[in-house]
Amino acid sequence: MSVIKSSAKKQKFNVFPYILTLPTVIFVALFTAWPVILSIYKSFFLQRMNIAKFREPTFIGLDNYLDLFADPNFHQVLKNTFNYVIGTVPISIFLGFFFALLVNRKIFLKGPIRLAFFHPMVLPMVSAATIWLFFFTPGYGLMNSALRVLGYSGPENWTGNPDLALLSVIIVAIWKNSGYYMIFYLAGLQKLPGDVFESAQLDGANGWQILWKITFPLLRRTTVFITTIAFIDAFRTVDHIFVLTTGGPSQASTVLLFQLWQERFENQNVGLASAITVIFILVLLIFTVTNFLISEREEK
Amino acid sequence: MSTFKKFLIVIMLFAMLSACGPATTPEPVQEEPAPVEQEPVEEPAVPVEEVTPTEEPVVEEPEMEPVTIQVYYPVAVDAPITAILDGYVADFEAEYPHITVEPVYSGGYADVQTAIQTTIEGGGTPPALAVLLATSLYDLINADYIAPMDQYVAAMENGQAYLDDFLPAFMANSYYDDQLWSIPFQRSAVVMYYNVDKFADAGIEPPTSWQSWAEAAQALTTIDGDTTNWGLKFSSDWPYWLFQPLAIGAGQNIFVDDCTMAFNDPKVVEAVQFYIDLSKVYGAMPEGVQASWATDTADFSSGSVAMIAHTTGSLTGLLNQAQFTIGVMPYPGKEEGTYASVPGGGNFYIMKGAPQEQQDAAWKFIEFITSPELAADYSIQTGYIASRFSAFDTPAMQEYTAKVPQALQARDALQYAQAELAIQNLGQVRSIFHNYIQKAFNGEMSAQDAMDAAQTEAEAALEPFCQ
Repeated sequence: MSVIKSSAKKQKFNVFPYILTLPTVIFVALFTAWPVILSIYKSFFLQRMNIAKFREPTFIGLDNYLDLFADPNFHQVLKNTFNYVIGTVPISIFLGFFFALLVNRKIFLKGPIRLAFFHPMVLPMVSAATIWLFFFTPGYGLMNSALRVLGYSGPENWTGNPDLALLSVIIVAIWKNSGYYMIFYLAGLQKLPGDVFESAQLDGANGWQILWKITFPLLRRTTVFITTIAFIDAFRTVDHIFVLTTGGPSQASTVLLFQLWQERFENQNVGLASAITVIFILVLLIFTVTNFLISEREEK
Repeated sequence: MSTFKKFLIVIMLFAMLSACGPATTPEPVQEEPAPVEQEPVEEPAVPVEEVTPTEEPVVEEPEMEPVTIQVYYPVAVDAPITAILDGYVADFEAEYPHITVEPVYSGGYADVQTAIQTTIEGGGTPPALAVLLATSLYDLINADYIAPMDQYVAAMENGQAYLDDFLPAFMANSYYDDQLWSIPFQRSAVVMYYNVDKFADAGIEPPTSWQSWAEAAQALTTIDGDTTNWGLKFSSDWPYWLFQPLAIGAGQNIFVDDCTMAFNDPKVVEAVQFYIDLSKVYGAMPEGVQASWATDTADFSSGSVAMIAHTTGSLTGLLNQAQFTIGVMPYPGKEEGTYASVPGGGNFYIMKGAPQEQQDAAWKFIEFITSPELAADYSIQTGYIASRFSAFDTPAMQEYTAKVPQALQARDALQYAQAELAIQNLGQVRSIFHNYIQKAFNGEMSAQDAMDAAQTEAEAALEPFCQ
């Protein structure tokens, strides 16, 4: 009885925590929740800023969504986005993990090597992409010269070839992000308890077994975190696409956010751009919630 | 005690919130009371600095209320635009003490237009004046952002002469519905740069037709171990602009008017085929879409590539880097002795949403900054083509062109120019054109099929605008 009573007493409404979170709530409401609501609302309207008669919004129900899904170009954009995310996220996470293992050991020139892996992160994406523009140059470009030394004799026009354009922006994204993910893995590795590894070694586990049975599982929370930021990053980084391919050739490297920018600011189609925004948010939301639920379940 | 602490914290929180307040609503900053205090300080300085003989300020000053205008500029070339324009603004404010000009630099053309769009759609007051692409005309009119300028020209003593002094190619995108909407400012053109030394060494004359162009490019393509020194490089990552003079040279621009495209006109298709043939038939250019706008200038100035298609905006950079004589010319046309070019760059637009007195002040600034002397100075300092004929007669310009004859070659290319693609629904129609012409360049479709498809899609995209 007394237990119930005291807990009831504890649960007495306390305004203080709410006041503390109020500033955050206001900011999130103003800059995240409100724009989302506005986008959902506007996605049901026909509004095109560059046509006088369509400047005032008219309600058209789901037409924007229907138009999008009937448009083969939009299918291409979704496919590109899917390929881009699948192409960048797993590989850059794997490389980040691999680099972290590498520089966590006592190796020669550890500092400079860590710096070499991490420095792409420090560069702004636009500068990085401009540098890569020269790497990709057919003929004398560094990328092609290096590949030729390795025996490559395929097409060299990376950014202008419809089969390679998306791959080239994926390569730049992987190069840019791996070092960043390495930092998180490195921090995780250095926090791991040493005694677990000692006992594993005493039990006769080899290096490979230790890595996959102990190190990697222990870093699961880090992996969940990195997967989430890598996924969101893959959706929201388009700077290098502007510099390298401007979404081309023939839309071969146009991804969702690039398409959104084009619809909103080049074509000035507010309704359609809002519909793309809603799709964009839904995809991110589904992924984040799934990722969260899976990690929560595994926690139990 | 603890309630007191809580009370304190709450007060601090509210203080923080109110401090954050203005950041969420940036619009009020644009109001104009500030210059009132500034004006008396500046006034005495005027006669000392400038000896301009104009009487205007004397006449106007008593009736003129102080006014502040914002001018949004893009920085689109490799030149210290900010410093140059700050200098002009200082001169202007000295001559018109009641007007304060606040230049706002916010990225490239697309960024400036986005900034203005966001301001207006968010309910804010736009800047009185902005430099935007000449081709944005229809989008800006349709969105009701800009005000016509006819009444200002009519009020000028010699208005028509003022307009006639601008190079006609630069005025091509200024009119709609018989009204004047923009004044040329930082203008460029598509030209062909060629390495005069390479041509002389090979005993080849500069080309005068597609035939001699392709043959020259073929003859100047050399293989040097692993690398090919191409005769011609012609980027196609943002293809419409560099492509337009090819179509014009074939005898048909890619559009007829703001609602009529000519993408699948036989002459335009022929021009697409010529681009493809330069690599496929003549082997004078790398194959497929070339995303090489940024690298072509380096390849040319290093002496590797003999000719490039590029903007006159690159002239100053190329002259600084190249160790050989550079020739500038329009593209050769299809027929012997014909040539073609297309203008580009930005114009001044007056924003409708700004208060009337700011719009009037904005026009004063336009008049001032497009004077022959400043047009010449801006051209010399940036590499843009001076927008007015009379600018080329100024002593400064004559001295400059004596040293840099290429600046005159660039201007002369403009006599063969036709209008840059400026149409209704520009963004979407341009994307369609880019999609299909790149498919043709990459061999995914034939030139004819690609241009037919582009025409059909463009007509559909224009329908809601042009019924």
